[in-house]
Amino acid sequence: MPRKLAAGCGHSADFVRKALICCTLLVASAMTSTHAKADDINWRQFEGASIVWAYDIHPYADAVAAQLPEFEKLTGIKVTPELYPDDAYWNKLTIQLSTKSPSWDVVGTGIQPAWDLAPGQLLEPLDRYLNDPKLTAAGYDYKDFFPALRDALTWKVKEGQIEPGSGQVWAIPHGFENIQLFYRKDILDKYGLKVPTTPPEMSAACEKLKAADGAITPLGVRGVRFWSSIHTAAISIAKSYGVHDFLIKDGKLETGLESPESIAFHKDYVDMIRKCAAPSFANDNWYQVVDGINSGRTAMAIDSNMFGFWNDVAGKPASGKIAFAPSLRAPNSKNFESNIWIWSLAMNASSQKKGAAWLFIQWATSKQVELNGAVAGKLVNPPRASTWADKAWLEYAAKPEFNNFVDTFKSVQERAALAFTPRVGFAEAMNAWAVAMQKMVNGADVKTTLADLASEIRSSM
Amino acid sequence: MIATLQSSTSQLAPSKHEAARGIEEARLDWRSIAAIAPAIIILLGFLFLFFYGVFQSLTDLKFGRPLVRFIGLDNYAALIKTADFWNSVRATVVYAGSAVFVQAALGLALAKLFATEVFLARLMRPVILLPLVLPPMSVALMWTTMMDPQSGIMNYLLSLAGISRFAWISDPATAMFSLVLIDVWTYTPFFALIIFAGLQGINDEIREAARVNGAKGWAIFLHIELPLIAPYILIAAVFRLIESLNQFDIIFGTTQGGPGNSTAVLSVRAYITAFQNLAFGRGAAVMVVNWMIVLVGTFAMVKLWRFVRQRVS
Repeated sequence: MPRKLAAGCGHSADFVRKALICCTLLVASAMTSTHAKADDINWRQFEGASIVWAYDIHPYADAVAAQLPEFEKLTGIKVTPELYPDDAYWNKLTIQLSTKSPSWDVVGTGIQPAWDLAPGQLLEPLDRYLNDPKLTAAGYDYKDFFPALRDALTWKVKEGQIEPGSGQVWAIPHGFENIQLFYRKDILDKYGLKVPTTPPEMSAACEKLKAADGAITPLGVRGVRFWSSIHTAAISIAKSYGVHDFLIKDGKLETGLESPESIAFHKDYVDMIRKCAAPSFANDNWYQVVDGINSGRTAMAIDSNMFGFWNDVAGKPASGKIAFAPSLRAPNSKNFESNIWIWSLAMNASSQKKGAAWLFIQWATSKQVELNGAVAGKLVNPPRASTWADKAWLEYAAKPEFNNFVDTFKSVQERAALAFTPRVGFAEAMNAWAVAMQKMVNGADVKTTLADLASEIRSSM
Repeated sequence: MIATLQSSTSQLAPSKHEAARGIEEARLDWRSIAAIAPAIIILLGFLFLFFYGVFQSLTDLKFGRPLVRFIGLDNYAALIKTADFWNSVRATVVYAGSAVFVQAALGLALAKLFATEVFLARLMRPVILLPLVLPPMSVALMWTTMMDPQSGIMNYLLSLAGISRFAWISDPATAMFSLVLIDVWTYTPFFALIIFAGLQGINDEIREAARVNGAKGWAIFLHIELPLIAPYILIAAVFRLIESLNQFDIIFGTTQGGPGNSTAVLSVRAYITAFQNLAFGRGAAVMVVNWMIVLVGTFAMVKLWRFVRQRVS
C-alpha cells in the first residue's frame, strides 16, 4: 500500500513510511495530551479577573514575575506584582491584612510572620482549595513538597495560640533558605585565613583580616532592630549553644533568653560583632549583606545560603568567588545548627478574588515554575523533591562557579530545622531581642540586658 | 388714657413685624446650622476617631486574642514602669526641642541674609526651599545613604577636612545628633520663609528713625527687628514643634528608633508596638501620651506667642 501511494504521488516508499510513522506518533501524542487535560482543571474559570500579588523585592519574586506572561496566557487572569523593600514590606503586610483591606490578594510570607497573622483570621486556610478537584490540578502533587516544609506551614489555632503538627494549611512554600556561612575564597586565600567554625575563631580571623586590610569588613550580618536580624545568624548560632527562645518550665511557657547558655552565647556573639561587623551594623539588613559579599567589601557573611549562590551565577562580578560552609557553632558543641526560612505564598482572607488568587498560588508553586525558576539561578533551594531529582537543576547547581554549594546544602540541610517556638507573639519577642542585641553591641551589660529582655517578653505573654 | 394704655401694651407685646423677624431669624439659624453641618460632622468624625483611639488604649486589643477586654489604665501603668518608655519621652523632647531651636536660629540668619540686596542671597531664595518639597521618607533614604559610615559621602567630605570617620546614625552616641541634623536641613527653610515675611513687613521708617537716633546695625536688629518678628518666629515654632514632636518618617526611615533605643521617639515606639508587635492597645496608649506632650507643648508655645504679640502691639 505505501509503495502504491508513493508511486502515485511521485514519492519514495521510504518517505511515505516515515510520514506514516510521524502521523501515528502525532495522533498518539495528541491522545495522551487529551488524557492529561482530562485530569486537569479549567484554568480559564476566572478569566478576566485581575489580582494583586504583594512580595518583598527579592530574586524569588523575580523568578515568578519573569514567568507571569505564561500564567496570564494560560488563565486570562491579570496579575499585578507589588514589590517592596524588606522592612517596608513586612510593616505594610501587617497593616494591609490587619485593616482587612482586600487590595492584596496573594502575599508572600514566611512561617514566623504567619504565626502572628493566622489567629486573627487574616490569612485564608488553603485546605479547601487544595482538596477541590475543580480548583487544583491532579498533577499539582502537594505531597511533592518536602514534608518538613509542609508540616511547618500546617497548624491549628487553639485558644488564640499555635498548635503545630496538624490542622490547616496556611501557605504554600515556593522557596526556602537555610543559614550558612559563605565567604569570598579570593579574600580568605589572599590573607591565608581558614574558614572559622566558632564565634571565637571568627573574632580572631576578623582581627587578622582587619590588621591586613582595614578597608574590608570581615563579616556581614544583619543588625536592624527587627526580627529579621535574629532569624538568620543569631538564632542559628544560639541554638548550638543550647539557647531556646522559649521553653516549658513548671508546665508553663517561659523565655529561655536569660539562661546561662544564652549569656554565654551573647557574650561570644557580641564580641564577634564588635570585632567583625560593619560600623553600620545597626542599619544593616540583607541588602547590605549581599551587596558587601558581591562587591568584595565584605569577606564573609552568615545569612541565607542563596545570597551566596545568586552572586556566584555566571556573569556576576563575584561569580565563582563565593564558597559555602556550615554556620558557626558553640566552641564546646560538636554540631552546628541552621534555622530555616520558608518563603511561601498565602492568601489574604479579605481577598474578593479567592478563586483567581488560588490559581495563581497553585501555578506559581507548580513543578514547572519551580524548576524554571531554579535553573534560571533565582529560585534556588527549591521546595519540591521533584526539582531536586531533576537533572536540569542538579547539573546547573553543580556548575563549577557555584563551588561547593550542593555539598554544603546537603550537609547543612541534615541539621536545618525551624529554630523558633511556634507561637503567636513571635514578632514582639523577636523584635525585642533584636533591640537588646543592638544595646549589647553598643556596650550594655549582657547579663542585665538579657534580664530586662526576659522581663519585657514575660510582660507581653 | 386709653391711648396711653394701648401704647403701653403695644410696647410690651411684640409687634407683628418683630414676630415675623423672629421667625425669620429662626429660619436663618437653621440655614446657618445646615451650612456648618459638614464642618460639624467632620469635627465629630475626628473626635470620634480620637476618642476611639483613647478607648483602644484602655483595652488589651492584640492580634490573635479572641476577646478584647477593658483593662482601664493598665497599659499606662505598664508603660510608666519601663525605663524604655521614659527614654522615649526624653528622646521625643530632645529631638523636637533641639531641632526647633536650631531651625529658628538658622532660619533667622537665613531670613536676615535674604532680606539684604546681596545678589547671591537673592539667587539662593528659591533654591533654599527645595528640601521642603521633598517627601520626608525620600529625605530619610537619601541621608541614610549619605551617612553610611563606610561608603557615605558625609564621611568622605569630613575626610577632606582631615576629620576621621564618624558613625552618624550607626552609633547611639551620635544617632540623635544626626537625626536633628536631617530635620534641620529639611525644615530650616520653613522658618526662613516665615521670618523673611516678618522682616518684609517691618516699616522702613522705624529703622530710619532708629538710625537717626544713633542706633547701629546690630542694635537695630536686636531692639527693633527682633521684637517685631518674634511673633513670626514663635508661630513658626508652634507649627514645627507640633510636627517635630510627632515626627515619624525621618526617624523610622533612617534608624527605626535605634541603635538600641537611642532614637526611639514616642511616635516610632507607638508604631512598632502597634504594627510590628501587633499590640494595638499598648500602641494606642503610647500615642495618647505623645498627644498629651504635643498638647502641653503647643499650649505653652501659643501662650508665649500671645504674650509676645501683646508686648509688640
